[in-house]
Amino acid sequence: MPSFLFWLFAGVMLIFGALVIINRNPIASALSLVVCFLGLAALFMSLDAFFIGIIQVLVYAGAVMVLFLFIIMLLDLRAEERRTMNWVAFTGGFVVAVSLLVQILAVISRTQMAKQTFPPLASPQTDDVRNVGLLLFGHYNLPFQVIGVLILVATVGVIVLSKRQLR
Amino acid sequence: MISAPYLEVAVLVLGTVILLIESFFSKFDRRYLGYAALVGLALIFLATFFIAPQSTMSSAPFWNFYSADATSLFFKRIALATTAGVIVMMFDFAALVSSGVQGATPQSGLGEFFALPLFTCAGLMWMASAIDFVLIFVSLELVTISFYVLVGFTRRNPASLEAAVKYLVLSAVATGFLVYGITWIFGATGETNLQKIATVLSGTGLEQNAALFGGVLVIIALGFKIAAVPFHIWVADVYQGAPTPVTAYLSVGSKAAGFIVLLRVLDPFLILPQMQTLLVAIAVLTLIYGNLAALPQTNVKRLLAYSSIAHAGYLLVAVVSFSGRAVAFYLVAYLLMTLLSFAVLILVSQPAGDQLESFAGLSQRSPFLAFAMLVAMASLAGVPFTAGFLGKFLVFDAAIATHHFGLVVVAIVTVGAGFYYYFKVVRAIYWDAPPASTDKIIVSPLTRVALIALIAGTFVLGVYPQPIFDALAR
Repeated sequence: MPSFLFWLFAGVMLIFGALVIINRNPIASALSLVVCFLGLAALFMSLDAFFIGIIQVLVYAGAVMVLFLFIIMLLDLRAEERRTMNWVAFTGGFVVAVSLLVQILAVISRTQMAKQTFPPLASPQTDDVRNVGLLLFGHYNLPFQVIGVLILVATVGVIVLSKRQLR
Repeated sequence: MISAPYLEVAVLVLGTVILLIESFFSKFDRRYLGYAALVGLALIFLATFFIAPQSTMSSAPFWNFYSADATSLFFKRIALATTAGVIVMMFDFAALVSSGVQGATPQSGLGEFFALPLFTCAGLMWMASAIDFVLIFVSLELVTISFYVLVGFTRRNPASLEAAVKYLVLSAVATGFLVYGITWIFGATGETNLQKIATVLSGTGLEQNAALFGGVLVIIALGFKIAAVPFHIWVADVYQGAPTPVTAYLSVGSKAAGFIVLLRVLDPFLILPQMQTLLVAIAVLTLIYGNLAALPQTNVKRLLAYSSIAHAGYLLVAVVSFSGRAVAFYLVAYLLMTLLSFAVLILVSQPAGDQLESFAGLSQRSPFLAFAMLVAMASLAGVPFTAGFLGKFLVFDAAIATHHFGLVVVAIVTVGAGFYYYFKVVRAIYWDAPPASTDKIIVSPLTRVALIALIAGTFVLGVYPQPIFDALAR
């Protein structure tokens, strides 16, 4: 992929990622998050990971965001807009975030791998889904099964925590 | 002979069966589900002593993720024993689950309350066996998500809800650090399997900075799990707000599993000197903060929360001294005395609350509970002839053997602080006058048996630790 496309999508992701936390209106935040996810999906596609790109759009930009918007509908939006900025917390968080960023940049600048140019990718493999499936049900079968248990527990937990009447 | 992976499967089947019975049959006493869970856990615990050695079948990709060595079996037993202890406590706590809920019967919500710890237990057991970052991450998430539900289980109680939200948010941040750290390590070494990472790290031409950075991020996430300073902010509020059996579970189960993962992850990294320095710093901070912050506490649950931070400090001293044996023994001692103190706390706090005053004059209201709490506090403080003393002794011994003299000095000074706040509880029990209108506390036979077993364990391991070493050296 031309490198300007990478910069374009990475820039879109950064801008809208920042907008998610800058926006005071939760709906605007949620919609910025959708755009951020779309940029991420585009980056996956550019790495020839078409399946992950499509799943990113379907699951995150689609299903998860609809869920977010539903939850936002149940909230009191005014309360969020009335909130004032806590400057102590803001400064503290800012210092932590900046020092983490400096740390990451320092590590990257000393990493030899980051300086080399990688050869262009081989021709895109179209049997993406098959490869992912083979890995998931073959080599990564055990973690995959554990995720199944995790989802069962999450389901039970959601029901326990949300039902109005205990039985 | 049984193959080790069937242990987790058995725990899962047990949990699922209990959930199914809970949902399809309505007219029976829910406490039978708890008894079923206890019997099942006891049988699985027995089964851990008949595990076939791993070497016969270690070719499948399964064994890239899962190890069935003596250490993992040992930590599986800790997970099973903790879960059984927590379920015993849940019987005493059951009345509070539905309190304050309109139209609830005494049976309300108990089925899930007994079933969820079993799934957590399966997650803890997988963590004990995980030798690959993918399985470590997935099983850690299983444990964490079931803890979200358990911490918020009494959500009509505002404190429990607050605890659940705090735990959810901070735990999610910790998970973020874990994933980010794993990606850095994977990027630098190209592997997720810990043994292969160790091979790559010991080789030459390595991106050491990148791997080290990833390792530090992983330590941040695990520091959150084991409640080490400075990743401890959540501990006091979450421990105080969560239902007390869940607090005990968080404090023992989550910590034990966190330490086995820490031991395994650090194994490739500890050869790097920077990592040693970092861990020594975390250990010193944890020791000092945990013990000093516990001093002024008047709420027993909060006091135990800070004491849990302090004990994470002693365990970290054992970790930097490369002594897996000291870590394992200390965790067993910690399990015995922590479960003991929380079990007594549940019984004492039911009418009067978690404050220190509700322990006043306990020796006259229930001499048995008073003695149980005395043993727990003495062992937590480290009085000789208790398991807690021997645990600390092994830790200091290992630290001296690896020349961490500064650490030992800090640790011994903080033990002194520990005596003060643990014996504050003992003083309330034996010397303070009981409130005028209090009646005797009734201890159910099941709890009595469990308490006696824990007390006996504390004393036996205090003078005869050999069974633990044998189990580790198999």
